[in-house]
Amino acid sequence: MRSRLDIRDLFAEAVAGIGTRPARTALTVLGTVLGIGTLVTTLGFSATAGNQIAGRFDAVTATEVTADIPPPAGPDLPPRVEWGALTDLARLNGVTAVAGYARTQPGQEPSVRANTVRDPERVLDRALPVVGATASLLGAARTGVAHGRFFDAGHVDRRDRVAVLGPQAAEQLGVTRVDNQPAVFVAGKPFTVIGILGGVGRANQQELANAVIVPWTTGDDTLHLGPVGTVLVTTALGAAPLIARQAPLALSPNDPAAVQVVAPPDPAALRTGVADDVSGLLLVLGLVSLTVGALGIANVTLVTVMERTAEIGLRRALGARRRHIAAQFLVEATVVGLLGGIVGASAGILTVVMISVAREWTPVLDGRLAAGAPLAGAVVGLVAGLYPALRAAAMQPVDALRGPG
Amino acid sequence: MTDVITLTGIGRTFAADPPVIALESVDLSVRRGDYLSIVGPSGSGKSTLLNVLGLLDVPDTGRYELEGEETTVLGDAARTALRGARIGFVFQSFHLLAHRDVTENVMLGGLYTSAARKGRRERAHAALERVGLSHRRDFRPTHLSGGERQRVAIARALAGNPALLLCDEPTGNLDSANTAAVLDLFDELRADGTTLIVITHDETVSGRAGRRVRITDGYLTQEPL
Repeated sequence: MRSRLDIRDLFAEAVAGIGTRPARTALTVLGTVLGIGTLVTTLGFSATAGNQIAGRFDAVTATEVTADIPPPAGPDLPPRVEWGALTDLARLNGVTAVAGYARTQPGQEPSVRANTVRDPERVLDRALPVVGATASLLGAARTGVAHGRFFDAGHVDRRDRVAVLGPQAAEQLGVTRVDNQPAVFVAGKPFTVIGILGGVGRANQQELANAVIVPWTTGDDTLHLGPVGTVLVTTALGAAPLIARQAPLALSPNDPAAVQVVAPPDPAALRTGVADDVSGLLLVLGLVSLTVGALGIANVTLVTVMERTAEIGLRRALGARRRHIAAQFLVEATVVGLLGGIVGASAGILTVVMISVAREWTPVLDGRLAAGAPLAGAVVGLVAGLYPALRAAAMQPVDALRGPG
Repeated sequence: MTDVITLTGIGRTFAADPPVIALESVDLSVRRGDYLSIVGPSGSGKSTLLNVLGLLDVPDTGRYELEGEETTVLGDAARTALRGARIGFVFQSFHLLAHRDVTENVMLGGLYTSAARKGRRERAHAALERVGLSHRRDFRPTHLSGGERQRVAIARALAGNPALLLCDEPTGNLDSANTAAVLDLFDELRADGTTLIVITHDETVSGRAGRRVRITDGYLTQEPL
């Protein structure tokens, strides 16, 4: 003959035991709610924020590398980067397009006009930046021609006096078509307009829309634009960080440090960084709350065990074995932890969703997190209930049954 | 075998300085259907005898046969199972769970025994019927009178259909009217064949029993009524 306790009865007794003091149970649950809630909010929020930041780096931005080359320190010194070095850079694996240009200094834009008529009533001169570029500018700046064509390597080699206008520059100069071979005068020197650009796709090169673009050879001859000052590179997806490291060496082998490279931040590193920043402190806070919650469960369960000495004695008299007593208090503590885990996880998820809605973010929630959090609460309860349950099982409650209870 | 309990030379000594002899060569036999009262002043060994009879404590010497089974050689698990199945306890302070209704309290009596889970509620209702409390089955114990509470406790003890009802000062917390009701119930139970052992210091209670023994300083003596 053996005493036994049906598992359904065990849970029924444990739940009834918890329900005996609802207020105390609620307060005990609160500790776990705070702990689990903080953890879920922290993890969910950092996942959401990390995803949000990563989302800003679209594939286009992530493939653009820009190198700025300062002018040589003295007028007699050789340029830091030769125009020919651009072809070296283009040979690098992962580079899809390379273009370089030299431009007039801000504030020293030459006056540009579309005809030679001297009209005293109208101001025809416009101060526009002039850019001397390589023939590959279209691809590297993510732009195209709206009218006409861009100059090619032949124009560059022959030092032809041709120009392509940015869309805003063309509007200011009143040039709307190129089939009649209009001319512009840059600092008094005539250039034939062979094309007008469309919109410029590259975010950091919007000034090209307002510029007069000429072959770099011609620009150097007529306007003394000087050596290459800016290099635009587009790369294959994922190659940008590598190209950013290699570009200075390819462009200026003698003095790579002179080349200032602007590369997109590594999205993966950024995401991790943000997640780390956000979660680090809160994660510790959550773990502390959870520990406090566990101590709360342990403490309350211990008090409950002491209060229920007579009940434990009664159950022993009714045939309960020590393990039945221990199991009941273990299950009670576990259920309290589970309740805290469920409520805490729900509250945490709700917080993440509400923050996301307020900031118009997309909430990102790991399903394992949502499922694991209540489980973690139950484990916390189980661990916290271990000591009180063993105390209850070890009780000699014979005397508690006697006398007034 | 008509003896429910046979104690032979039971002794129990508690380690102290000097050692406390709580029971000394106690011989006692209780037959089926007996109604025995054990009287004695406090400190006489009543509690120790109750614990031994209730299989809550193991004597140092002697033999204790419950329904012919030698219990002093049993392990803790087997003794616990035997206690749950064959002994019904009734305590002075009832020990009802305040937040469970009367039926649930009575159902506790069969919780740990090997009795079938199915039909437990029906058996509890039958036990309540026996103590005349069917009309109180959905009440909380806190809404019952002391006498009714003790009758619920008796129903809980009866629910497991035990060989023996072991009552420890069952009327200690009751007024005379409720005491009379409980004692009337004991008479009815005895008439049904239930074996009763009542530990008490109350002469009116022990006077209702069929047989009385007195315990003094650990020694048991038969006493005429």
